[in-house]
Amino acid sequence: MTTPRRDVRSLHHRALRGPLSILLATVMLAAGAALSGCAASGGTVPGCGDPLRLAIIAQSVPSASYVPCIRSLAPGWNTSGFDPTQDGTSFLLNSDRSPGQPVTVRLTATCNVSGASPSPSRAPGVLTYTRLDSITPRFTGTLYDVFPGGCTSYRFDFALGSQIALVEQFEQAIGLYPRQQLRLILKQELGVELNP
Amino acid sequence: MTTLPTPRPGHEGSEVPPLITASPRGRRRRPSGEPPPLPRHIDHSIRWYLALAGIAGALWAAMSVPAVLGLITRADLAVLHAVAAVRTAWLTRLMLDVNALASPWTVRLLAFGTIAVLVAYRRFQHLAAYLVIFLAAVLLLSAMTLEIGRMRPAGIEILGPWQGYAQPSQPVATLTLALVGVLYTLTPAGRWRNRGKWAAGIILAALCAARLYLAVDHPTDQLTALIIGWPVAVVAFWLAVPNDVFPVSYRGGRKAHLDIGGRRGAAIVTALDHQLGLAVTGVEPFGLEASAGSTPLRIQVHGPDGGKAVLFGKLYTLSHLRSDRWYKLARTVIYGRLEDEKPFSTVRRLVEYEDHLLRLMRDAGLPTPRPYGFAEITPEREYLIVMEFFEGGREIRQAPVDDGVIDDALSVVRRMWDAGMAHRDIKPSNILVRDGRVQLIDVAFATVRPTPWRQAVDLANMMLTLALASTPEHVYERALNVFAADDVAEAFAACRSITIPSQLRSLIRADGRDLTGCFRQLAPARRAVPVQFWDIKRVAITAGLLAALAAAAALFGIYLSVVGLL
Repeated sequence: MTTPRRDVRSLHHRALRGPLSILLATVMLAAGAALSGCAASGGTVPGCGDPLRLAIIAQSVPSASYVPCIRSLAPGWNTSGFDPTQDGTSFLLNSDRSPGQPVTVRLTATCNVSGASPSPSRAPGVLTYTRLDSITPRFTGTLYDVFPGGCTSYRFDFALGSQIALVEQFEQAIGLYPRQQLRLILKQELGVELNP
Repeated sequence: MTTLPTPRPGHEGSEVPPLITASPRGRRRRPSGEPPPLPRHIDHSIRWYLALAGIAGALWAAMSVPAVLGLITRADLAVLHAVAAVRTAWLTRLMLDVNALASPWTVRLLAFGTIAVLVAYRRFQHLAAYLVIFLAAVLLLSAMTLEIGRMRPAGIEILGPWQGYAQPSQPVATLTLALVGVLYTLTPAGRWRNRGKWAAGIILAALCAARLYLAVDHPTDQLTALIIGWPVAVVAFWLAVPNDVFPVSYRGGRKAHLDIGGRRGAAIVTALDHQLGLAVTGVEPFGLEASAGSTPLRIQVHGPDGGKAVLFGKLYTLSHLRSDRWYKLARTVIYGRLEDEKPFSTVRRLVEYEDHLLRLMRDAGLPTPRPYGFAEITPEREYLIVMEFFEGGREIRQAPVDDGVIDDALSVVRRMWDAGMAHRDIKPSNILVRDGRVQLIDVAFATVRPTPWRQAVDLANMMLTLALASTPEHVYERALNVFAADDVAEAFAACRSITIPSQLRSLIRADGRDLTGCFRQLAPARRAVPVQFWDIKRVAITAGLLAALAAAAALFGIYLSVVGLL
């Protein structure tokens, strides 16, 4: 008597090993995940050419007429800690020339620019301000992009010497995507209305 | 010369084990392709769960196409708008309260509680499976969240708090994983687990309904989250810790023992029939309290004269193999000296070894059970070794111990010495007395060509066992008929607390007499035989173990961070 072949054998081969190897695999997976940044929260920030992913940033501040996005990252830069919530969006811009001191980017509905000096505007309808907290021993401060219904702040803390290039690079890295354009694309691509 | 001539063996001698009786159908070779007696069972729910996993995969694939994503999103929004039509102030407050179930603290409480209970009950197999499955699921969810990057419901007011991309719903998935973890690692299968499933289902249904009402998730975000958190996790638990091999139980007793009813019971009968030609009429657990490394069985078969005969069986599975590995690792650290104590690589090797030792001991004329071979129940996972059942044999503690028994027991050790063997687990529960003759059982730890001190320890443990039922002086006197005084001196020079099996040690403690001290006084003076050695291997293993524990503690922190439990 014969019966049809079953996939039993393959299941046996897939049987997990002992607890020691399983635990080892777990910690290696965890370490690998932590090192690769593939953690439970955070991840890469949407680029300006990916409007479907930008929608979540727009939803985090429904009044904001612009949403920050990654335009282009200079060599040595990366993003992390992407955290959109119902209260706004924040993420980090990391440079290998400023280890441990990332630029913290936040999109909020409002921001306090008192004490900040106007700077050249970065987009139509956007007012840009800079507040320097110190110049030496470190170059620290905050840059603000203020627009109708929202504000993006960039908190930086660089070592003296490289600050000019680093400020220029992170300003180049972040673009501001018009909400109106995003609404049109979502309507065309998905047939949904971005509220409001 | 320090040893005396070997007495001639008694009635036990080299022999070929006779067949008890042929099964009506005789032995039968399993043709290629035919399933083994107990194939891994894939029940209907597992098939459904796999199908659901396929649906989740298909949904994710479809969402990578904007046009299809649009269709799915519009369908999702239609559902959400319909739900939003019933929004009222009091219902919103209620739903916000229910949505508190999605708090990370709920999952932390469940997850840490599960881990604590698993550690407390030393259910490390379940713990390892739980940690791996939780991590793998969270990584999968995170990867898919980033890959799909789906926005929250659009065109509808979102009433509840949210964080991150929408697909799949992380709070629903992690709560589901935590609940499934409780069900499949802490809750006994059957009535309690079924009740738990209903309770978990109600909790998840309430959470999903609340989040749909609040328009925090799309329906499909919840669907994929539930599929990863429940069916996929259940399949993973089924693969890693199948309930028939690693049952969840709080009844106490040895965890190594398996349920031998149902499919396994039928498979045992079939396997013994087909593979060993034994016509089995009954199988029952036997002496469970004395066995930690296997499931001991009393097997009734048809005897050669048409009557009944009884055999003894030991069922070994992967869990026993793993226990054996941990046991040997612990011995490596505690004892240091390892004579052939490499862990077995497979269950088959473990059973083959015991069967081989049974045959060697019979060939050497030792009074050990007659071997009948072993049967494969599930390839590489479960094997049943069958041997003679010493019907009427009583543990030496319960039998009258006269000079004949003492002499016989000592001659057994003498014969092992002469055959170049050591039993390595001489204790009262492994020494039976039947018709005034000593029988030695449980040869699984025995070894051939052991270190001399190991053989000496066998003698010491046998003399201690006999002294419990007699006096050290009398046992010593009888021992000198079989061993030289120097042999006895060596035995007790090698004897330490750690070389005495735990059962024998506790009996000696309960007895109150300093039996070891008495024997040492009776025997010629001899310097202690060093038993524990700090060789490079032991140092390396101990250091490696300590380093692994430290690394595990550090990486556990990383783990908790990665899976979002911190």
